[in-house]
Amino acid sequence: MLGLPLTFLSPLVLAALVTLPAIWLLLRVTPPQPRRIDFPPLRILADLLPEQENPARTPWWLLALRLLVAALLILAAAGPLWNPGAAGGRGPLLVILDSGFPAAYDWRERAAFAAERIEGAQRDGRPVALLATGERPGGLETVSPAAALDRLRAVKPQPWLVDRRNHADAVTRFLAAQPDAEIVWISDGVAGAGDSAFSEALAAAAGARSLAVFQAPAPPAVALAGLENRAGQLVVHVLRAVPNGRDAGTLRAMDLKGLPLADAQFAFQPGATEAEASFEVPMEIRNAIARIDILGESSAGAVHLSDERGKRRRIGLVSGSTADQAQPLLAPTYYLARALGPYGEVREAPGGVAEAVGQLLDQQVSVLVLADVGTLDRDTYRRVAEFVDKGGLLLRFAGTRLAAGNDDLVPVRLRRGGRNLGGALSWDAPRTLAPFTRESPFFGLAVPADLGVRRQILAEPDGELSRKTWAALQDGTPIVTADWRGQGMVVLVHVTADAAWSNLPLTGLFVDMLRRVVALSGNPDVVGADQKADIQTVAPTRVLDGFGALVAPPPTAKAVQRNHSDRASPEHPPGYYGPTESSLAVNALLAGDKLAPLPLGPLASRTAPLARAETLDLRAPLLTAAILLLLADALVSLWLGGHLQRLRPRRVAAAAALAAALGLPCLVGGQPALAQGSGRASPDPALVTRLAYVVTGDATIDQTSKAGLTGLTQALAARTALEAGEPAAVDLARDELAFFPLLYVPVAPNQPLPSPAAIRKLDAFMKNGGTILFDTRDAMNARPGGEPTAETQALRRMLATLDIPELEPVPRDHVLTKTFYLLDRFPGRYGTGQTWVEALPPAADGERRPARAGDGVSPIVITSNDLAAAWAVGRNGEPMFPVIGADPRQREMAFRGGVNLVMYTLTGNYKADQVHVPALLERLGQ
Amino acid sequence: MARTEVLPAESRRPGRSETAAALSLAARMPRLILEARRVTASLAHGLHGRRRAGPGESFWQFRPFVTGEAAGRIDWRRSGRDDRLYVREREWETPHAVWLWIDRSASMAFRSDLAETPKIERAFVLGLALADTLVEAGERVGLLGLKQPTASRRVAEGFAQTFAARERDLDDDLPPATPIGRLDEAVIVSDFLSPLPELRRRVEAISSRGARGHLVMIVDPVEETFPFGGQAVLEEPEAGLRLRIGDAASWGASYRRRMAAHRGAIAELARARGWSVTIHHTDKPATQPALRVLTLVAGAPGTGGA
Repeated sequence: MLGLPLTFLSPLVLAALVTLPAIWLLLRVTPPQPRRIDFPPLRILADLLPEQENPARTPWWLLALRLLVAALLILAAAGPLWNPGAAGGRGPLLVILDSGFPAAYDWRERAAFAAERIEGAQRDGRPVALLATGERPGGLETVSPAAALDRLRAVKPQPWLVDRRNHADAVTRFLAAQPDAEIVWISDGVAGAGDSAFSEALAAAAGARSLAVFQAPAPPAVALAGLENRAGQLVVHVLRAVPNGRDAGTLRAMDLKGLPLADAQFAFQPGATEAEASFEVPMEIRNAIARIDILGESSAGAVHLSDERGKRRRIGLVSGSTADQAQPLLAPTYYLARALGPYGEVREAPGGVAEAVGQLLDQQVSVLVLADVGTLDRDTYRRVAEFVDKGGLLLRFAGTRLAAGNDDLVPVRLRRGGRNLGGALSWDAPRTLAPFTRESPFFGLAVPADLGVRRQILAEPDGELSRKTWAALQDGTPIVTADWRGQGMVVLVHVTADAAWSNLPLTGLFVDMLRRVVALSGNPDVVGADQKADIQTVAPTRVLDGFGALVAPPPTAKAVQRNHSDRASPEHPPGYYGPTESSLAVNALLAGDKLAPLPLGPLASRTAPLARAETLDLRAPLLTAAILLLLADALVSLWLGGHLQRLRPRRVAAAAALAAALGLPCLVGGQPALAQGSGRASPDPALVTRLAYVVTGDATIDQTSKAGLTGLTQALAARTALEAGEPAAVDLARDELAFFPLLYVPVAPNQPLPSPAAIRKLDAFMKNGGTILFDTRDAMNARPGGEPTAETQALRRMLATLDIPELEPVPRDHVLTKTFYLLDRFPGRYGTGQTWVEALPPAADGERRPARAGDGVSPIVITSNDLAAAWAVGRNGEPMFPVIGADPRQREMAFRGGVNLVMYTLTGNYKADQVHVPALLERLGQ
Repeated sequence: MARTEVLPAESRRPGRSETAAALSLAARMPRLILEARRVTASLAHGLHGRRRAGPGESFWQFRPFVTGEAAGRIDWRRSGRDDRLYVREREWETPHAVWLWIDRSASMAFRSDLAETPKIERAFVLGLALADTLVEAGERVGLLGLKQPTASRRVAEGFAQTFAARERDLDDDLPPATPIGRLDEAVIVSDFLSPLPELRRRVEAISSRGARGHLVMIVDPVEETFPFGGQAVLEEPEAGLRLRIGDAASWGASYRRRMAAHRGAIAELARARGWSVTIHHTDKPATQPALRVLTLVAGAPGTGGA
């Protein structure tokens, strides 16, 4: 219309614009409401009639405003459209929408483009058929555009590469039934399976009908395919279908909980479609990596999930010696477990050798370590041999038993006995290792100078011996030998795994050697000989959706076998299968996969770029403008009628508030961090030690707490070396507790239970060494054996959710009674309440110690004596509350108890140790 | 444009704030000048001859009996205590008083944003301050139709309580037609926005024995200038009158003419009875009318000052 990209859905409504002059006339004759004035003198001049009627005319600008409103309403009713888009035919519209993971990156634009086409069909009244290629093939039928839009909203990208060929039949049938259909294919431009077949079928079925393939000139999808666990680094392959301008990016590795572990950059060479990124992180962190993402690419293809197969090597340790458990620190398994622990999951099994080996093989270890095991019984031998044949790594250590006799699960033939070096009956000195040869896996490791081998098992000389030798002594006798056996490997270390024969296990070289040996192990697909036939299947537990987020598995997902090594498919979506501790990861792409551009075949000439027409329905903006103008008109009418006058002060105040709200952020914008920080109650809480109390919300209790802690702080300053700062009021929901050694919590019966977050905070405070002093303040009301008071019940409710240790009344020898004053009880305002602390470990028999303390400070102290009220002082230092009890020194004793408590929280069990000082000095002869 | 409002009825009762303001105003009045004037009062009618023996009710002093007096004047109770004869003398009480009346009708509860206070508040402050100052100066002050003259020191509080307690005549906008004594004076504080004949009738009734008086007219600045324009509906609070005017600006001109005529008539009415008229605008401080009325009371011919 008029050269503008503007059309109207119902242009006839525009005829109503003719009525605007009539509206103008009507508005002119309706004057605004006159203003009302209170005016007492009217009484004496009621007869003074107005001389001239001046019917304040509607101002012209108000008239124009109202006419504008009317015009806007009429225009909105006419349904204007900006950029109406291409008009299609009259027949049904077939929308083919690629919904594999390559479409996920720009899914929003794709969906918007599809929605735009369907809305266009809706305006033209054409039925629509929607085919999402990521879904399973089914019948294709036309529905109303509104229903198609609903379906479109439900379509999400799927986490696998689409198999378009499956849909060829449905499309062909549909096109045969709908001769005048228009076809729109919104393609992701990445090849799936059977694409040429689909393109050809589509081209054949479409014939001369209108068909357009919309795709971005260069598909923007980037994906990850495969992970390589190289020495020292983890290499990830990054793929793209064609060079698409996204040449660099960041990969992020995360652990099972989604915490980021490491970032790595990748960059495509210009024109390349593959790139590598490597994570150079320590082995432990590498093992913890569960998932690698391309940052900013929310697509299932941009996620690589790793499972147990890729990382952790399960290592089973079996020792042949029997008396190991008596001296566990000298057992060979101890050295092995310590050396192997960082690089694999070390498992040991109880029982004898045969039983332990069987259990460990059942646990699917990938490395089996036999330390000084001579011979195995027949069944065990068979299982171990099969384990090695299937790719397992058997690592054996020599020892007296192996020296006495051995089976053939060794790389070389061994001589009976052994060889002593440097003993009393030997001429030789202990030998050290020769430098590792280039063929050895240990090549490059430095041999420490103080290494000495005192005894070893000797191999029978053999032509193959040098090939099998990984490490040798300076005189050439092999010290580590290895040989392949089936798909696996047998490694023998010719010394013991403990320090009996050599000091090798004490050196760092031992750790490095074991690490390299273990790194050689593959993954044995062995469960057991008898279970070989049926391989375990695992059900999906969490799968990726098309955007690469882990979700619950859909009902269509099926279980996979343990040895599943295919890429994801509709039956097996990518994700984790099986229990969490030994889950199997299925990924969207396999190592070695490539992304290829979509072969369009005969359709190549009908492509169009994926650009939206940006159709804009102008109805909503027009109606909004009309409503805003109507509001303005109402305000103006009120103003002309004088009704706004009485609102003026409030309005001014509101305007001032608004201006302040708008202006303040501008003023403080320069220093936002400072502004946030200065709002805290205690600006430098960590610099001054201060007592703290929890705000209950009850003003009386809070005031008492504050005054009480103030009094205690003064008493501490007067009597001890502690000069604490002003007591701090702490709101559990808001404040950080870490700065306070002691937290006074008065329990109010009607206060709401702290939120779970606050409880967690309290728990963390207690676990990290803080002490909480709960005061129920009800010793006056509590009767022994009677109904618990309201405060006690409130305390119980609060503690029910806290993890608190076992409690006991303060024993007479508790260090709390000795930290500053010697006390036997802890009175407050009342003297009758019991004080409870964490139960101490029972004293050892016969030990007489004047003071006992646990390892730390009791995280919790519970009293009912209303301590704060006894400590509370007014402005002039006068006590605020009378104490209730017979003892005239009760207030003094309350202060002493408070001093002891604070000293206890600050010094811990120091005083308990201090009582030994005389004895220690005496022993030192001082 | 000025904004106007009529305050609710509760505001037409004096509260602590008005009383305190009145006392503070009274404290600032130049009492010494007043007293100096009063000292020159004539013996016969001077208000200040009262602190001496004369006809009256209250005891003044005993004096020795003088031979030749009527024996009936001897106070035997006193004379019985010693050998002399005594005569009981009473204080000389003059019937002279100042009568105060304050308009508390709804039109007084009017204020505009050009004024400092509502008219009623100014009227209370002014009236109570006058009462207090006059009592301090030795006068007796009463409330016309409400309260007998008193010389109590706490006259301002007493009057305020009386006003607060009385609801019956809350809507009277003219003083009661009660005649007062010949030597008495009336102080009428009102906005005098009532028809002229009725006002004339009341003033004549009050001054029927020849008493003098002072009319204090409290005017809001809006009532003086009528600073409005355009279309407006005027509302009157007492009689509920409404007037719709098309062009307030031109109507205001005729209003001001009519108002001037109304005031002229009041001044003429007062002059005919020998009364004075004081016009006070509420945007001015209250000291001005207070000083003027005090001066007028002190300098009145009946008190012998002039």
